[in-house]
Amino acid sequence: MTDSRTLARTKTLTDEPIDRAPQRRRRLTPASRLGQIALYGVLALLALVYIYPFLVQVATSFKSEQEAASNPISLIPQTFTTAAYERLFLNSDFPLWFANSAVVTILVTLGRVFFVSLAGYALARLRFRGRGLIFALVVGVMAVPSVVLLIPRFLVLNQLGMYDSYAGMVLPLLVDAAGVFIMKNFFESIPPSVEEQARIDGAGTFRVFWSVVLPMARPALITIVILSFQGSWNELTHFIVSVQDPGLFTLTRGVASLSSGQLSQGTQYPLKLAAAALMTIPVAVVFFIFQKRIMNTSEGAVKG
Amino acid sequence: MRHSRRLMALGGVGLAATLALAGCGGSGFDDGPAASGGANGTDGGGLTSSDDALTIMIGSSGDAETAAVKEAVAAWSKDSGVDAEVIAATDLTQQLSQGFAGGNPPDLFYLATELLAGYADNGSVIAYGDQLENKGDFYPSLVQNFTYDDKFFCAPKDFSTLQLIINKNLWDKAGLTEADIPTDWDSLAAAAKKLTSGNTTGLVFSGEYQRVGAFMAEAGGRLVSEDGTTAVADSQENADALAYVKEHLADGTFAYAADVGAGWGGEALGKQLGAMTIEGNWITGALGDYPDVDPLVVELPAGPAGKGTLQFTNCWGMAADSPNQEAALSLVEYLTTAEQQLAFSKAFGPMPSVQSAAEQWTTDNPDLEAFLSGADYAQGVPTNDGVSDVFTDFNAQLATLKDGDPATILKSVQSNLEAIVG
Amino acid sequence: MASPVITERAPEKTPRRDHRSRGLRRGEGVAGWLFVSPVVVILGVFLFLPVLMALWVSVSDWGGRGSPLSPNVNFVGLDNYGELTSGQGLRSRDFGTALRNNAWYVFLVVPLQTALSLFLAVLVSRRMMKARGFFRTAFYFPSVTSSVAITVLWIFLFSAAGPVNALIAAVTGGKGPNWFNDPRGIVHLLFGVFGVDAAPAAISQPGFLGLSGWDWIAGPSVAMSAFIIMAVFTTSGTFMLLFIAALQNVGYELTEAGMMDGASAWQRFWRITLPQLRPTLFTVITLGLIGCWQVFDQIYTGTKGQPGKTTITPAYLSYTSAFSNQDWGIGAAIAFILFLIIIAFTLLQRWLLRERPVSKRRIRAYTPKGARS
Repeated sequence: MTDSRTLARTKTLTDEPIDRAPQRRRRLTPASRLGQIALYGVLALLALVYIYPFLVQVATSFKSEQEAASNPISLIPQTFTTAAYERLFLNSDFPLWFANSAVVTILVTLGRVFFVSLAGYALARLRFRGRGLIFALVVGVMAVPSVVLLIPRFLVLNQLGMYDSYAGMVLPLLVDAAGVFIMKNFFESIPPSVEEQARIDGAGTFRVFWSVVLPMARPALITIVILSFQGSWNELTHFIVSVQDPGLFTLTRGVASLSSGQLSQGTQYPLKLAAAALMTIPVAVVFFIFQKRIMNTSEGAVKG
Repeated sequence: MRHSRRLMALGGVGLAATLALAGCGGSGFDDGPAASGGANGTDGGGLTSSDDALTIMIGSSGDAETAAVKEAVAAWSKDSGVDAEVIAATDLTQQLSQGFAGGNPPDLFYLATELLAGYADNGSVIAYGDQLENKGDFYPSLVQNFTYDDKFFCAPKDFSTLQLIINKNLWDKAGLTEADIPTDWDSLAAAAKKLTSGNTTGLVFSGEYQRVGAFMAEAGGRLVSEDGTTAVADSQENADALAYVKEHLADGTFAYAADVGAGWGGEALGKQLGAMTIEGNWITGALGDYPDVDPLVVELPAGPAGKGTLQFTNCWGMAADSPNQEAALSLVEYLTTAEQQLAFSKAFGPMPSVQSAAEQWTTDNPDLEAFLSGADYAQGVPTNDGVSDVFTDFNAQLATLKDGDPATILKSVQSNLEAIVG
Repeated sequence: MASPVITERAPEKTPRRDHRSRGLRRGEGVAGWLFVSPVVVILGVFLFLPVLMALWVSVSDWGGRGSPLSPNVNFVGLDNYGELTSGQGLRSRDFGTALRNNAWYVFLVVPLQTALSLFLAVLVSRRMMKARGFFRTAFYFPSVTSSVAITVLWIFLFSAAGPVNALIAAVTGGKGPNWFNDPRGIVHLLFGVFGVDAAPAAISQPGFLGLSGWDWIAGPSVAMSAFIIMAVFTTSGTFMLLFIAALQNVGYELTEAGMMDGASAWQRFWRITLPQLRPTLFTVITLGLIGCWQVFDQIYTGTKGQPGKTTITPAYLSYTSAFSNQDWGIGAAIAFILFLIIIAFTLLQRWLLRERPVSKRRIRAYTPKGARS
């Protein structure tokens, strides 16, 4: 699944074509026109393959269970019914899951933006002993696969008495090594003259950071916001090992239990698909709003 | 000046980190085992007592069961003055495991026969059976199931057997009568053949040992010897049973629930994907969701060795780390009285584990008599430590039974069992 | 609008000042540590420490009750690791099964998703493309969704009476398999087409990690194949973006030179464009490997290892060993072995894709005759 590390290397989505040659007017020969049509045809077909599952998901969530089984392909329900959504909102804990997800995501996103930009700035601009070591540690931590952390995080949370609490859900996610990496790279690219000017004017280090440098970091911050939002909204493994009280379930855990836990009696596809669709909406919204702004952050990695 | 400032900052950060680790640490872990060390149930007595509220965790079969248990516990709570909360687990074993590791398990929980040995071995549960007031009322075979290391660990809360459930409407529609009710394997196959048409398969059941084992019992085979000391999985009788199932899976008259698109046999019966199924008492509660289906419960047909079926039971496990075991004991006694068990039975089906309720139950549930008759000849599932992993593996192999070889499957089950049996 | 291009520049070199600088750099050291401390504390406590604790649990006999650091817990050396790799017993067989399932998954997903994402990137990056943004969004959207939501959708799509089977029936008239309940390996099915229905005697005995050779080459099961398709569907979008960005940086001059030398479009792509994409290729494959070896969410939400244990992965096995069976030591050991596997694969593919010096033969072939020394 897409995680922050992967997205950290996404580049700007501008509309520049592949080449930057001077725009010559190319005559459209019949051959190249045919080529164009073929190209659009292939692309359209592929796009259909990618979009159809989601369309059928929404359509099925408005069908009755029998119709979902008997007529799975159609995108228009014969009998439009909102029974699945009613059950979801009235008979299950879906609203609670949504609220928990929202709380955790907001806390984690705010926390990450703050802590990660602080650390990134310090690693990029401030000189202090052990800076190199800390940076090496951050990079090293990025290499640890999350599967190794499954069991041990649970043990540590228990040891600290934070198991089954919001603190246990939020704290471990507050910092993200990839985010530190992104911010550090970004801060290194800002010319130091502005900071120097602020210091000459007498500002302390934190003042310089907060009032001068941070506002300039908007593109990077937006990237961090998007990545954090997505990462924490879609997080599953951490919420499996950090809570078991159903009152603390987030959307991921709740929908997973709908799908295969003891709450899943029978194959109630409209209900499950409705839940899955609803949980995708917030992330999709954030994605569509900010997609133009995802910045180019991995030039170094690509050329390296 | 600079140096000392920096060192102070460093020290400050380090101190904060250490405090964070050490300070709040240990609250979960250290107290639990230490406090209940004495009460680690060697010979009864020494149950903990406190004012703490009780937590009861159940693995519910559905809304009916959850509601019934909550009602019963609430009634007891009012009487006794001790607060109690019922939690329906989404994944009982996982949540218990996390609870034990954190020193914070539920006080009472459903405990299956195959899991008792493991929990008893690592001290997670205590043996309180001998302290029960109604100890003598439980069926001896159930007590046997929950006796480990010569200690009667926990009170059986109910039990079920597997029997054959037939969809009466489809039965009549296929032109079958009472005389055709299967009494042996051949008549079962014949009935299944007649009932297979269109989307409906004659006999549908979950593809796991916990159902297929009924056929093995009817053939006279078992997984582990009665005293639990020898693995006997690769016997000819078991191979015959699996061959019979394989034959009819192949000719389409039997089917696994998953293969027809149902989660379990009950759902298949309810959605009319199967005309007959092999299930236990709990099906009565589940069929409430499918009012079109009119079920008829009959005894499973006799196999080459006579009638046979499997018996399942759970008990009320009590955590060794529970701070209020005396209250928990009193709750268990309340929940296992004949009246309470009869009430549960009415809500979601299983049979009471106390003999004093048997007559009343039969009068109340004449349609379900077959289940109780099964108790006379039912086989319990093995209870050796580690056997649930063997079940999981056996079930995984049963998924391939249609194209597979019974002898190979049984051989691997045998070797797995030999590794854990004495 | 210029796109902000970030390059890895070396930090600015200001003239050396002595540490006890006053004035502009006052308090920088302390500030530096304070700024960095939340990150250090949280990473240390919730990343570093857990790894150490897991390492201890994997070499101890902790039974799952009480603290793993209590004095009753003993050091047992590499017993857990030994049991997993011994080939004897159910645990080792389960581990072997999990490795086999995940190996086939990696083996199929990584090439497929790399090729597909590159293909999509090339298509979407062509000149004179209209609606580029729309197509890009369409292909990238699945990557935004959570694995839970996609798995729920996929279980429906590939159910016995679901849209995929309905489409198969409409197009070919045949009946599609019961995807998520079919434990047969697709390589076995392929062999079956050629008449090889059972294991040849030579490879039917239990071998490496308790599985026979026949079991190892079974290929992913039909159920796992549905997951493979899902993985390619969801990750191709992300990698497509990486390739698009890399393609934007491929200068047109070389391609033009190639066109003038008479190279065909395919040759231009294969010999000019692709080599310049090598770093991105490396990144994509590495990320793919790291991600694929950690498959967990989909299994937990979807099949939980069924049917017939053919969708169990080491990550999921680590979880169930610890949390369902209370075999915490085994679970931790599996996690660390997996860690080693990931590192090994990353190093291996780094070595395979390294820049190789051009061979002497090539140099000779391309040097004009007169210039040869």
